[in-house]
Amino acid sequence: MTAQPPRSPARRSRLTLTVAVAAALALTACGQRPSETRASEVDKPIVIGISLPLTGDFAQPGSEAKRGYEIWRDMVNAKGGVLGRQVQLKIVDDASNQDTVVADYTKLITQDKVDLLLGTFSSLLNYPASAVAEKNRMVFVEPAGGAPDMFSRGFKYLFFAQPATAPRQADVFVNYIKSLPEAERPKTAAYPSQDDPFALPVIKSMQTQLEALGVKTVYSEVYPADTTNFQSVASTLASRKPDLVAQGAVFEDGVGMVRSLKQLGFSPKMLFQTSAPSNSSQYSDGVGLANTEGVFYTVSWNEKATTPLNAEFVAAYRKAHNAAPAEDAADAFAAAQVLQAAVEAVGAIDQDKIKDWLHANTVQTLLGPLSWKENGEPKGSFLLAQWQGGKVEVVGPPELATSKTVVNPKPGWK
Amino acid sequence: MAHFVQAIALGLLIGGVYALMASGLTLIFGVMRIINVAQGAFLVLVAMVTWWLWNRTGIDPIVASVVTTPMMFGFGWLSYRLLIARIRGSSPSMSVLLTFGFALVIEGVLNLTAGNKFKSAAPSYFEESFRVGAISLPKAQVFGFAAAAGVLAVLYYVLHRTWTGRAIRAATQNPSGAALVGVSAAGTGALAFAIGSATAGVGGSILSVLYPFFPASHYEWISRLLGIVVLGGLGSLPGAVTGAAILGLAETLTATYGSLGWSTLVFYLVIMAVLLVRPQGLFGARLREDAA
Amino acid sequence: MKSRTRRAHLVAAACLLVLAVYPVINPWQPYPQAVLLLGFLLAVQATSWNIISGYAGYVSLGHSMFLGLGSYTVGILAARWGVNPLWVAPLGGVTATVIAVLIGAVVLRTRGHAFVIITIAMLLAAQIIAVNARDLTRGSDGITLELPFWHRDFQNIPFYYAFLALLVLTVLFSAWIRRTKLGTGLIAIREDEGKAATIGVDTTRFKIVAYAASAFFIGVAGGVYAYYLTFINPVGSFAILGSVTIVLAALTGGRGTLYGPVVGAFLVNLVSEAATVYAGGVQSRVLLFGGALVLVVLFLPKGILPTVEAWWRRRRPAEVAYIEPLAVRERVPQPPEPGDVLLSLRGVSRRFGGLTAVDDVSLDVRQGTITALIGPNGSGKTTLFNLVTGGLPADSGEIWFDGRRVDGLRPWRRCHLGLGRTYQVTRLFKEMTVRENVVAPLADARWRTMVSDAVRGHEAERAGELLDLVGLGRFADQRAGALSYGQQKLVELAQVLMLEPRLILLDEPAGGVNPSLLGRLTDVIRELNARGVTFLVVEHNIPLVLDLCDPVAVLAGGRLIAEGPPGQVREDPAVLEAYLGDDRLPAVR
Repeated sequence: MTAQPPRSPARRSRLTLTVAVAAALALTACGQRPSETRASEVDKPIVIGISLPLTGDFAQPGSEAKRGYEIWRDMVNAKGGVLGRQVQLKIVDDASNQDTVVADYTKLITQDKVDLLLGTFSSLLNYPASAVAEKNRMVFVEPAGGAPDMFSRGFKYLFFAQPATAPRQADVFVNYIKSLPEAERPKTAAYPSQDDPFALPVIKSMQTQLEALGVKTVYSEVYPADTTNFQSVASTLASRKPDLVAQGAVFEDGVGMVRSLKQLGFSPKMLFQTSAPSNSSQYSDGVGLANTEGVFYTVSWNEKATTPLNAEFVAAYRKAHNAAPAEDAADAFAAAQVLQAAVEAVGAIDQDKIKDWLHANTVQTLLGPLSWKENGEPKGSFLLAQWQGGKVEVVGPPELATSKTVVNPKPGWK
Repeated sequence: MAHFVQAIALGLLIGGVYALMASGLTLIFGVMRIINVAQGAFLVLVAMVTWWLWNRTGIDPIVASVVTTPMMFGFGWLSYRLLIARIRGSSPSMSVLLTFGFALVIEGVLNLTAGNKFKSAAPSYFEESFRVGAISLPKAQVFGFAAAAGVLAVLYYVLHRTWTGRAIRAATQNPSGAALVGVSAAGTGALAFAIGSATAGVGGSILSVLYPFFPASHYEWISRLLGIVVLGGLGSLPGAVTGAAILGLAETLTATYGSLGWSTLVFYLVIMAVLLVRPQGLFGARLREDAA
Repeated sequence: MKSRTRRAHLVAAACLLVLAVYPVINPWQPYPQAVLLLGFLLAVQATSWNIISGYAGYVSLGHSMFLGLGSYTVGILAARWGVNPLWVAPLGGVTATVIAVLIGAVVLRTRGHAFVIITIAMLLAAQIIAVNARDLTRGSDGITLELPFWHRDFQNIPFYYAFLALLVLTVLFSAWIRRTKLGTGLIAIREDEGKAATIGVDTTRFKIVAYAASAFFIGVAGGVYAYYLTFINPVGSFAILGSVTIVLAALTGGRGTLYGPVVGAFLVNLVSEAATVYAGGVQSRVLLFGGALVLVVLFLPKGILPTVEAWWRRRRPAEVAYIEPLAVRERVPQPPEPGDVLLSLRGVSRRFGGLTAVDDVSLDVRQGTITALIGPNGSGKTTLFNLVTGGLPADSGEIWFDGRRVDGLRPWRRCHLGLGRTYQVTRLFKEMTVRENVVAPLADARWRTMVSDAVRGHEAERAGELLDLVGLGRFADQRAGALSYGQQKLVELAQVLMLEPRLILLDEPAGGVNPSLLGRLTDVIRELNARGVTFLVVEHNIPLVLDLCDPVAVLAGGRLIAEGPPGQVREDPAVLEAYLGDDRLPAVR
């Protein structure tokens, strides 16, 4: 009923067996156990294995991360490499797919025997990928993936190369509110948020902290990632007229909310959105440049910062891609800086020593100084940014601010 | 109270647009017993083209449907001739798989050409509203609704008042009988598929204004549209309009008074409840082949 | 055919052996193991999908939902109970099965297209629930699971064997279903659902069981898969692309075959991995899968295995045996005396729009008779049959069978009471063998009958006997569609006999049958009648009717105009007028 044309059954199955055994033997490339340490060959380039979502849902941040990693590689190689060895990146595409990211890192570690790993983008992919690295005791520095659960697993080889995890992102904005005189603080606030591992914890944590400051919550609602219609939320907000609207917005929902608020003619005194406004021109095109005035958001990196190699990074990015550098590329660059610092400090490619060094030390990156708790969670804080006159300025924390003025209250919609 | 009326008004405006989008799907099913799973991808394709036109030339997105509608008519006709017609006569599930594959191909092509970013056309009137007492009706929604209602009226006229329409309806109700009086099944098939696709020309243009979209948005749209036609009864145009209104209201009301997160689920629950009582949907007649 | 099947099993066993020893030969290579184990996982899903969508023909586009349900069940329970996910993996299968039964009970009660649409909707609904039921699922943050407890040297090997074992179980399960009467029933539903219902297949129950059966192993695999990934979240667990891959795999290999989905799964998996490794980020994966799906539907609709098999069959056609003479009793048996009323129609009517096809007909069929129902074309005879067997509901009137009112019962219930029918134009399941056609009917609603073996054992033996009775025993392994029309009529009769019916409705048994086969047919009818089976026959061959039947009832314009012994009916002026009038008017159907 299902078989292909055979010559004789016995002969056929023998043939199949032979072919299969031959195939099995061909795959037997090398007999080293995964736990045996790799012999470091001193004269060969250092190979760093990375799987990135170059296609699929996360293609956009994935491609930016690739640019960040490549700029770092070119800079390092131009200066003679790491430990005197050239650096080679082995980047594979995981198509934003969990199965593939696991297979990719498994292959990079056990088949390609890469010397070091760097992380991928989005928590969805970093969860399973970091587990593969942990199983194989490879240091895994990830440029994204700040969902809180990432660090509740007790992983020892995982490091998050951004200043803070999602719940701590809100701190810088809350500190700004605290710095205001009592009269200028918002009295009421609304907290719509997309159900997203990076947006929602920020808003939840902000709500708790602001409530402690006496800001009354008039609205708090989570909406799903595929929500396209914000009119009903906007009309509820318009009817409750909060002073502050703090939205956990990934991107399109942030644009959608501003548009809907504008349609209904309601402009809050303060508008905070988590990451949507960081998408520079895409955001200003979406909501109209004039309407960006006074919008707050938090960000891990700023183009104007005076941190190590930042200016060089920005220049290299502009030269290579003829565009404003993206935060995702900077984060990837920082992850690579972290790994580089540790390898150079340890003086060898020894995963356990690198891990221990990172737990004990602070690394200077273009995002600022980074250091980690035992579980790989970073100890720093984010930047508070604001759109002013069609440009982005850092307004907090005060010591890193690029502008002394803060637009408050926000002007009405244009 | 004003809040409630506001929600109802928004729900009905959205429902009208949904009805237009679902009409093509139900028409194609009615004539050919084909579920065109690619209809959602057609919408996104048109939205992308509209966005591109608007971005390059500044043509108003809703006006751009004058261009996209004939384009989709031709596209639908070609799709039928090159793809669907080849599997006529094989089991209906094959057409589902074929159009599903086709939807993925469109998504993939859009991915490669337009990139994986959210887009949305924002004409000048986008942020403006008509105010009726305490209620504000966003202009974009109103224009979208008007365009949708207009197209549905034309569609109704064509189906009921012209010979072509009668031929299509005859083929819907009794293919072999229609063949006897000289209505060719292949001809009406191509025509119905082209008309069904052409509705996506207007629908997609409206979509580009009202909702941000990216290539993979078509899953969301097709599941909504399929829900509407199952609820209304496969193949029934009044059913699609009713189903669309119910979806629009269910979404807005749940979002206003309940939680946005559950609003889509509420609609699916309504579908399951209706199917439990009326397996053929609200307006669906039992098909001839349902009898043994 | 048989030896070919055996060869297929041999090849499968050889492949299994190689796969089973592979990690032993090559233990320290987690990457090829990872690629293979994902192939096993896809094969488990494709094989399961094949049960509902291949055997029964109801395409599900949301089948990856069950993988997600299994993952979530196991992720949640393992965390709550603090146990290793592997131990609770079977519970993932239980959840998947329960959900399948619930969904199936709503959408599988009718025929048609709602099912495919609902499967997509349910996949998305499951995602919405996973996102919003935060207390249970932790929303879009997802659930993290512990790392495997075994030494990292063996990292993928336990998963490899777990998925391989699941694959073996799934294939055995699928093979077992295919050889039971459940399996033949499902194929019957795929081929002709209306007909299936009239040979006692409880189509609703069969479909729900098939849907549930197609969910269980995917659910279990989902549990293991969650442990393999160590992380689950709504977007990853309920991805539509997962469903696409399943459909593509099963379709490529061969929908409805046993090994096709497995072959397809390995092919799809390897091609997709090769695309990742060699093609890098050049192509969009969606485009690749979508394009492959379109191409397979257009150019390889049956899939690889059936296409290869058909090619082989063309090259080496099976020998066709000639019909052998059947030993029929020389002496024509005496028909038994007419007994009590077996079937009774009381004022039954049925309208189609403005046309009244059956108009207030009251008719009794007595036990042990061969009652004829004659009348001009379009007089409502076939409609009357449909009303009796339940293919159509009556608008008014009552139908009683053997002392029970049956007009509200579903077709298969009437069948189980002892009512069988044949069709004017035969409706055999053309893709099945002759034997399978005859085995397919179910004489009762018991679960035991449903899962009884259709290839060997009591049911198959009976089918063989019945085929011998109609003289077609030698054709048992032929495809039914390959038989001549007259032979198909005989097979259809044997099919009905499988039900052990007390009353058989024959719709034009002589139509299109050559004289030598016709003689056999009448012999068989007389023989059965002698054994106590009652017949109601629609027939246009008047000499045959007069020879075979008593009494004769005449239908014209939907009304019963005469009834009585053949001789009397032949002289009836109303009958003559109906028939002669028929000559003057064009036949309207």
